[in-house]
Amino acid sequence: MNELDSLRQEAETLKNAIRDARKAACDTSLVQATASLEPIGRVQMRTRRTLRGHLAKIYAMHWGSDSRNLVSASQDGKLIVWDSHTTNKVHAIPLRSSWVMTCAYAPSGSYVACGGLDNICSIYSLKTREGNVRVSRELPGHTGYLSCCRFLDDNQIVTSSGDMSCALWDIETGQQVTSFLGHTGDVMSLSLSPDMRTFVSGACDASAKLWDIREGLCKQTFPGHESDINAVTFFPNGYAFATGSDDATCRLFDIRADQELAMYSHDNIICGITSVAFSKSGRLLLAGYDDFNCNVWDSMKTERAGILAGHDNRVSCLGVTENGMAVGTGSWDSFLRIWN
Amino acid sequence: MEPDHRDHRCHRPSAFDKMEGLVREMQDTEHGGVPVRSQKLFLTSIPAAFMGYDLIEWLMERLGIEESEALNLANQLCQYGYFFPVSDSKNLVVKDDSSLYRFQSPYYWPWQNRPPDNVEYAIYLAKRTLRNKQRHGLEDYELEALSNLRKNLANKWDFITMQAEEQVKLSKVLKKGDKIISDSQERAYWRVHRPPPGMVTSLEQCPVPTRSWNGSRTRKRTIEDCRRDVELLKNSLSRTRVKVSQALEGMVQHVETYAEYDPLITPTQPSNPWVSEDTTYWQLNSALVEIPTEKRVRRWALSMEELVSDPTGLQEFTNYLRKEYSHENIRFWMAVNDLRRSAQSQIQRKVNEIFEEFLAPGAPCEINIDGKTMEKVHQEMKAPSRFTFDAAQEHVYTLLLKKDCYPRFIRSEYYKNLLATGIQPSQKKRFFGFGQTKKKTSTSSAPNQQLLQQQPSQGATVTCGALSKRRGSDRSLSGSAHELAVSGVKDSKVPHSHSQSNLSDIPYRGDLACLPKTSPIAAPVTSPVKKPSIAIVAGASTSEEVCPWESGNEPRSRKNSAQLDSGSSSSDISVAVAEVSERVQRVCTLTQQHTVDGSRKLSTSTMDPPRRASVSVPITHSTTTGDSSKRKVSSFEDNSSAATSTSSSVFVIPSDTDNKAEECTSTSKTVVKNHGLAKACSVTGANAPIISVSSVADDLPVDSKVEEEAEATCSQQEPLAPLAEPDSESPASELPPSEPITEVEVDTEAKSNDVCPWEDDNPVQAKTCSITASAQRTLNPP
Repeated sequence: MNELDSLRQEAETLKNAIRDARKAACDTSLVQATASLEPIGRVQMRTRRTLRGHLAKIYAMHWGSDSRNLVSASQDGKLIVWDSHTTNKVHAIPLRSSWVMTCAYAPSGSYVACGGLDNICSIYSLKTREGNVRVSRELPGHTGYLSCCRFLDDNQIVTSSGDMSCALWDIETGQQVTSFLGHTGDVMSLSLSPDMRTFVSGACDASAKLWDIREGLCKQTFPGHESDINAVTFFPNGYAFATGSDDATCRLFDIRADQELAMYSHDNIICGITSVAFSKSGRLLLAGYDDFNCNVWDSMKTERAGILAGHDNRVSCLGVTENGMAVGTGSWDSFLRIWN
Repeated sequence: MEPDHRDHRCHRPSAFDKMEGLVREMQDTEHGGVPVRSQKLFLTSIPAAFMGYDLIEWLMERLGIEESEALNLANQLCQYGYFFPVSDSKNLVVKDDSSLYRFQSPYYWPWQNRPPDNVEYAIYLAKRTLRNKQRHGLEDYELEALSNLRKNLANKWDFITMQAEEQVKLSKVLKKGDKIISDSQERAYWRVHRPPPGMVTSLEQCPVPTRSWNGSRTRKRTIEDCRRDVELLKNSLSRTRVKVSQALEGMVQHVETYAEYDPLITPTQPSNPWVSEDTTYWQLNSALVEIPTEKRVRRWALSMEELVSDPTGLQEFTNYLRKEYSHENIRFWMAVNDLRRSAQSQIQRKVNEIFEEFLAPGAPCEINIDGKTMEKVHQEMKAPSRFTFDAAQEHVYTLLLKKDCYPRFIRSEYYKNLLATGIQPSQKKRFFGFGQTKKKTSTSSAPNQQLLQQQPSQGATVTCGALSKRRGSDRSLSGSAHELAVSGVKDSKVPHSHSQSNLSDIPYRGDLACLPKTSPIAAPVTSPVKKPSIAIVAGASTSEEVCPWESGNEPRSRKNSAQLDSGSSSSDISVAVAEVSERVQRVCTLTQQHTVDGSRKLSTSTMDPPRRASVSVPITHSTTTGDSSKRKVSSFEDNSSAATSTSSSVFVIPSDTDNKAEECTSTSKTVVKNHGLAKACSVTGANAPIISVSSVADDLPVDSKVEEEAEATCSQQEPLAPLAEPDSESPASELPPSEPITEVEVDTEAKSNDVCPWEDDNPVQAKTCSITASAQRTLNPP
């Protein structure tokens, strides 16, 4: 017990020292640094497509790497793979557990994954020899709900869970390769870095962590939010990331400077954020809100540049295509919308 | 009271602090809150209410927002139960009118207490059954709920009825006004927490087992956890931090650099498929493309990562290095990447394979790494894993590829040619009334139906073949020359994608060739001066016939075919270059042309690109006279080759022109329409070809942009005179004038064959054929 106390004390002093070190590195503000940047003007996006077909709340969506197909998960117990341009359903996959909370599209386009309150990450193969879609692997091991999953490639997937951990899985063997421990609250979201060597996670302990996938270690911790972090996304250059939280703010963190750079909030935004994504250049930060809207932030000026209004319920998920052409939003109103 | 509550409050998003703050401000009537008073409605007076538009106005003023947003915000707050409509107990909707609303008592705000349980609900319902039926009668769904509750809570029902009676008794003591208010508030509360079926409730949470982090659920932290934390914190403290200013500088720079590549900021060219329904953009930008867009090629110069993350870029880079006999590094890098993505069961094998091929002493493609790294590799080899070669890969990547090969690639003639030949699917401004209408950039990659369909149309759109100065030509020229120069006569040996690409390009650019030739360096920026010359050439070659349109027909078809070949070949290349090359040769006569070309170049030109350019220019001129005939020939060949090669392969070029046409007109959406346009264009072109040419020439000098566009147009159109063609032709310059005609006919036939796959276009095809025929006729006279 004594040792525990002394450790706690040490942790406290270290935290203070880190805070000071961060302050020392903070020699300017985002607003100052971007003062000379051209204003972006008002960003107006329209709904280009509405994908209808789910019968219940949509909880997650993820674009395929072709920037055209996307997969969505709904609590009607279905995964649907859409051709978002024609709005056709490419696959409709009935799930064993309808309490699904996340889904992911493999970069190769051959697999999709999903998971939720069943604590299992299920991998579905879209390209089987028989032509049907079937479960190719189930990855049990988490002791809490699955909140997010992202493929590294066809053989590896990273998951985050309500059991406060993240995990790297080998899909072929179904084994958990690495467990990423350190969060003190449910991990709600993860985002892979562009080089696929690290990822960031956001959790209900109001902190975000950067992890090294190979080493399985937490490299950095980013405090700042006042409430659960629901969503994280990497800045396109891989040196920064943004978070969305229940405290009604989005924030921008820089990895090399090891600190928060900016906060995106407004008096009239008084609800939680469910999802975030950057545009291709990183200039625009799109965020889905509980108030049925998406806000488009000028990430460099921390000003709101636009609003995507159209859903009739909370926006639960959002994604920008890999080529940056379009934004997809999914909502509890059971529809997906494609904007640009 | 707040802190007290907070402890046993279940997890509560802090966004609600903000909401409550705002609502408190609203209620603060003394300091400019929303005016609340007793409102008169006919004969009755309604206590403690405010009007919808007062609320909206207040929000707009307080937050400086627009009406629509204020309305949305008000509705949100209403959904959360901070206030409610007085006269509508069913819908929680705020309207911007004189309808009345009332604030909810803070006791009933969300998250003030635990969510209500069923016992409380049962008491509430039971209470209402004890009261005046008229005013407090239950809705259908409430009756149903009550009967369900009675069943489920049978053991507690006595308690529930007792509580209900007690509460009714207490409420009788209240004054009438207060009673009305508290009744309505309670009802609104239950409306929020037990909504009628089919209604959404904003309070609904994700069905997640309590997401609490400051409360009950935390796992007991062990000493291990603390130790780990301290360790992490120590690491974190000692890490080096970049200054924020520096980090921001990098970020701003990134944002500025990539703004151009961000479709949400800079509109895409040729058009946004989500808006225009035209999928050309995707075809142009699909993963593996024979001829990438100019923008895409430019992007490769931004960073090595940009280059290697683009499959086409990686392929071109590999081809370049292969030509330099230094592609083992990139191959090693790719092999390690592949290893990292491999299934566990294959890792052992792949590790060995990689080692044998790249690292073992005397390996066939031994890479050059230092001893230390080698030692590391040997150590890692003892326990093979995905990461066995990471150190070596890192070494190769940063020291060899990034610091040496990549900069060389970007500076190389090869890259410049890629840049020059890159497709520019810009939206055309019309400075060429007729020709312009049709332009589409073609992409090689996706065998898209649309493209296919468009092809015929392209054929129809004849561009000034003679004129065309595509950058493409440049590339093909220099590219092939380069190859030759570098590797000598290694056609068979190094069958590069590049060579293939050249082939493909050649037909295309042939027309363009003129330009490139003129401008030794980068084709894209052709100097105005050159253009005039081109124009002249065109004029010379075929007086009116020159009309690009007509000539374009043939060339286009060729191009298409060529592209097909090249496309397929290119994709294969990565796999088995040699095979591809063989096949290509077999398939198309083009190859022959190419080789001819190459040999010629060898003989005539040395490695200097500029030199070549100069040389080539004369050639084109000489050829110009015979151009038409040549083109036909080439086209013919192409067609045949295309037919043989495979219908499945990708052709794109034509599509480009079409797209552009679309853009110009901005009206035509359907391919068919395009075709029609194309026809029109071609016709007009035939009529006034000369004019167009001259205009082009004039325009060019005026403004570089215009020039570029012109180029682009030309290039698109120009399928006409591929470089190769001229060359090949010149050898065969003997072609009598009469020949062209026959050839043309052949051409049309060939086309029709090609076209077949896209049957939709048949009529168009026919038209195009006829057009071409006419064009030919016109040509013949000279």
